[in-house]
Amino acid sequence: MATATDIMEPFGEDYFSFWPRHNAAVKNRLESKDVWLDEVRGRKREHTPDALEHEMTLNMGPQHPATHGVLRCVVKLDGERIVKCVLDIGYLHRGIEKLAESKTYQEFMPYTDRMDYLAPYSNNVAWCLAVEKLANIEVPERAQWIRMIMCELARISSHLLWLGAGLMDAGAVSVFLWSFQGREDLYNIFDELAGARFTVSHSRIGGVASDLSPRALELIRDFTSRYPAIIEGWRKLLNRNRIWVDRNKGIGVVSAEEAIALGLTGPNLRGSGVAYDIRRFEPYLKYEEVDFTIPLRTEGDCLARYHVRMEEMLESLKIIEQCLERLPEGQIRADDAKQAYPSKDEVYYSMEGMIHDFMYTETGVTPPRGATAYHAIESPKGELGFYLESDGTGNPHRVRINAPSFTNLQGLESMMEGHPVADAVILISSADPVMGEADK
Amino acid sequence: MPETLKFHFTPVDGPRADTSNVHAKASTEVMETVDALRARFGATIRDVQVYAGEHTVFVERLHILEVCKHLKEDLGFQYLVDLGGVDRFTEDERFEVFYNLVNIANSKRIRLKVRVEESDAHVPSVTSLFPAANWNERECYDMLGVCFDDHPDLRRMYLPEDFEHFPQRKEFPLLGIPGSLPLPPQTPEGELTTDPFAAAHGNKPVKSYEEPPSDTYTSGR
Repeated sequence: MATATDIMEPFGEDYFSFWPRHNAAVKNRLESKDVWLDEVRGRKREHTPDALEHEMTLNMGPQHPATHGVLRCVVKLDGERIVKCVLDIGYLHRGIEKLAESKTYQEFMPYTDRMDYLAPYSNNVAWCLAVEKLANIEVPERAQWIRMIMCELARISSHLLWLGAGLMDAGAVSVFLWSFQGREDLYNIFDELAGARFTVSHSRIGGVASDLSPRALELIRDFTSRYPAIIEGWRKLLNRNRIWVDRNKGIGVVSAEEAIALGLTGPNLRGSGVAYDIRRFEPYLKYEEVDFTIPLRTEGDCLARYHVRMEEMLESLKIIEQCLERLPEGQIRADDAKQAYPSKDEVYYSMEGMIHDFMYTETGVTPPRGATAYHAIESPKGELGFYLESDGTGNPHRVRINAPSFTNLQGLESMMEGHPVADAVILISSADPVMGEADK
Repeated sequence: MPETLKFHFTPVDGPRADTSNVHAKASTEVMETVDALRARFGATIRDVQVYAGEHTVFVERLHILEVCKHLKEDLGFQYLVDLGGVDRFTEDERFEVFYNLVNIANSKRIRLKVRVEESDAHVPSVTSLFPAANWNERECYDMLGVCFDDHPDLRRMYLPEDFEHFPQRKEFPLLGIPGSLPLPPQTPEGELTTDPFAAAHGNKPVKSYEEPPSDTYTSGR
């Protein structure tokens, strides 16, 4: 039975039966922290009289339905207002950077699926491109277009979950059901292409695993023809919706300079008016050759981020349509046994093919010793980059994952300070973190 | 010494300056910035390496803050994208910290690197210039044990403070160290567990039923 003192002082003695040093450190940090945004903006908060006159420390999470995963927020409250916030992450830490050092480059692919599990295809592609840059592997045209289509579908899939879950946090359940219908349609496409609905692992170093079947193309065409109207319908419902606008407008305002200083990335950065999108900044795949705009807002609040993401979905659909038009015929994997897996026809019907397949599984690509490369893509959450170092063997010497959710969460900590507890939930869903990625 | 007794090392590839990389980006062509840094800081810039069109500038440890300040305030590299550590294990100057900086206005990206000895693994923190470095430096400390001087909050990032090892060092075993991390009890009344992977470390799991003796089917025929 929790007593009154437990509720008031969750960091009292013997409250936590494990990790005493860790919880003491979190508490110390909360007490000694300076509110960075207040410092930057040179403002002093006035203590408004409140029914609850005392300050209270509240421990939200890690097991809270609105925290989108195992995110622990320790907040210091003045009445209902969050004075200070300390985020404690690492509850989903699996050490995949360490695991990567004992895998071959191709073997590590399924681990990337489980980072940002709302858009696995983006992670696969980010990993492949980084390895391809490190080992200088050229990818056939058709594979690049297929990757682009799938990356954009993954972006829509991730944004659909953000929309549904974000609205459910604000109290509207119906959009969650509608957006999950959209995700179901997307899963069917991934299923048709890769044979897996969720963790696809379909991209390969030097290309992709299998070609788009006529059925998959039909499903993608069907999706791109139906969904612009559906997304417009949702925007019609939400853009001028009094409740939704009131809950989002002016919440978590971050200026462009602050966003850069905090290291925000992706839609969170573009919502603050910084035009930084890797698809334009350093174009990869074929993004130079398609026509699309980068949605940008300057308000920097939750509503701006909402608009950016909604418009991004429509832009993604435009990109996919152009890709389908321009999809060339040809190979889907590099035709070099040192760089990519041989096709299954070769493996099953020729001795060399089988040896190459075996060698590629056993050793895989071996970039030169001392080679380093950083390659980033614009994942749905922001800049997802892999920094690789090679020691000349088939296993990477160091894999560094620059995860967008991690940097966005760091900004979220500052964004939450000064807002009521009720807005914390809106802010978390607006920053759109995925703990699988943030915790690595 | 007779020819037959001489020991020949297998030659290994050094890092190649690879400008023909098909994935090289225009944003990483930062020769001008590198020249500007060299002109201003001289011997503080120890080395510049190029691979896949990416420039890596090696900076003396104690001058990293000055170099970052110059890059940020005079050359427009205001956005710290990534910061992390590398364990070079058997080499001199074992740990390496890299900084990935971006100039959004001019679309440029540059990488700085600092090397430190294991016995003195301290690097000046850049959080005063880039608040975004805060969590990245904490992560680097957590994983490799590199300390960042003047960091406002150098706690572990992922692992609890009660953990005493640095897991991303090369000598740390992949399966973990048994008993190194106290974990919550598995039942409300249970005791703290220290090793969730007891079975993997050789201890037999506790079974709630008696297994038949293993020779029932083999020797009892």
